[in-house]
Amino acid sequence: METFFTTSEKIQHIIKSFNLTKTLFVSSIIIGDAHTGKKSLAKYLFPEAHMVSGTNQEEVNKALESYDELIITDFEKLSNQSNFDFSNKRIIATANYVGNASLIDDIFAFIYTMPPLAERPEDVTYLKNLFTKEAMATLMIENHTLDEKVIPLNLSMNSKSLKKSIFLYLMQLSMDNEDIQNVIYHYISKHLEGNDGYREYLELYEKPLIKAGLDKYGSQLQLSQVLGINRNTLRKKIHEHHID
Amino acid sequence: MDINFEAFVEWDNSPFILFNNSGKIIYLNNASEILFGYVSKKELFDIAVSYAPQNFGYKTTSLTLNYDSFLFYAITVGYENEEQISLRLYNTPRIKSTRKIETDKFITTDINILLEANIALFKTKNNNPLKLLTDQDLPSFKIDQNNFSKLLRKTLNAFRASDSIDISLKLLIGQHVIIDDKKEPIIQLAIEANGRYADTDDEIQTLAAQSQIKSLLKERSIKLEIPLIQ
Repeated sequence: METFFTTSEKIQHIIKSFNLTKTLFVSSIIIGDAHTGKKSLAKYLFPEAHMVSGTNQEEVNKALESYDELIITDFEKLSNQSNFDFSNKRIIATANYVGNASLIDDIFAFIYTMPPLAERPEDVTYLKNLFTKEAMATLMIENHTLDEKVIPLNLSMNSKSLKKSIFLYLMQLSMDNEDIQNVIYHYISKHLEGNDGYREYLELYEKPLIKAGLDKYGSQLQLSQVLGINRNTLRKKIHEHHID
Repeated sequence: MDINFEAFVEWDNSPFILFNNSGKIIYLNNASEILFGYVSKKELFDIAVSYAPQNFGYKTTSLTLNYDSFLFYAITVGYENEEQISLRLYNTPRIKSTRKIETDKFITTDINILLEANIALFKTKNNNPLKLLTDQDLPSFKIDQNNFSKLLRKTLNAFRASDSIDISLKLLIGQHVIIDDKKEPIIQLAIEANGRYADTDDEIQTLAAQSQIKSLLKERSIKLEIPLIQ
């Protein structure tokens, strides 16, 4: 069975309202950004319901003829919204945005708004732990000491970007010298052109070197000694790469 | 033959009130008793005095009076001495809906569930304090669930910026409505606050009419009189 975790008060109210109307013949729609959990929520609340995607209009039309309980995802992609007759059916639709607000208002009895992950800090923590475990298993990373707090989290595309940022971070952590060289190799193979390539791509090496060094040693004087280069050369490079 | 007319007045469906010259009620019939739940004694006395004939006798005036769900189209004020003045209010006939209800869309429903679900939906968008007084023993009755849910959503939404919203759901004892030649009891859903939006009043009225519900839209309240069709 699907589970759905949330501590968001807003979503708790949505779940409550759905649970109350579960047996009634009403039409509901959940509207919210992509990857906020709309489909998971619908599937969690109505595990038995048939599910069709609005990307396939034919399929939706057919499903409406044969099912009284139906989940329609990507509702915004349907072009014949005004023709639907949802009376005496239990319809749960999801949409990334509202196309025609007055039409949605007309068709649906319950119109819910799914808050983005950025407004649900506790849900982010939960998903972060979930994705970290998944990533560690997928990437076969042994349980070495991982400070989860330092993982940079990208919420711009909700759970999609969140998951990607965790996978990327863990991959970076597990890379050795050869992996890093391979990454740079592939990147340069793809992008190298023009007539200033050496100077341009030297940044790939110099910038992280100086940034990491400054973070680790604090002062330019100390870092120049560690790197074995002149302090003026270091200062010039810092300026060149716009490092604070 | 001596006829006692008092019983006829007593059971007349239109309110009849007899005041003394200082506005005290000497007599009122059954219909006025209910009316006094919605209008003050003083207001009706003032009307009686304002519309009284110049000399002893009776005068009927056409006017529109509206107290909650009571609607009157005329009054008769009369006095035969300096001591007593009578006021009779004429009920406006309720327009009988000729439209048959599409009963195939009507499903037996517990109204409390639909109301709670709509309150939960309201709470996903608003944080206004909300009080609900309901009768959990209301019997289930037939209603178009989808249409009624839309009506509830729009009705609650009119209070999206109101403080201290009071919602009450109760059976209107002794009141009935005739639908499809059948006498049906009435449930009243009343939502009151310090103020409300009126931007969707038209839609509320349309949706209500579709479900045979009478809607009373006031400045600070919305009342829905729902027929309890079984």
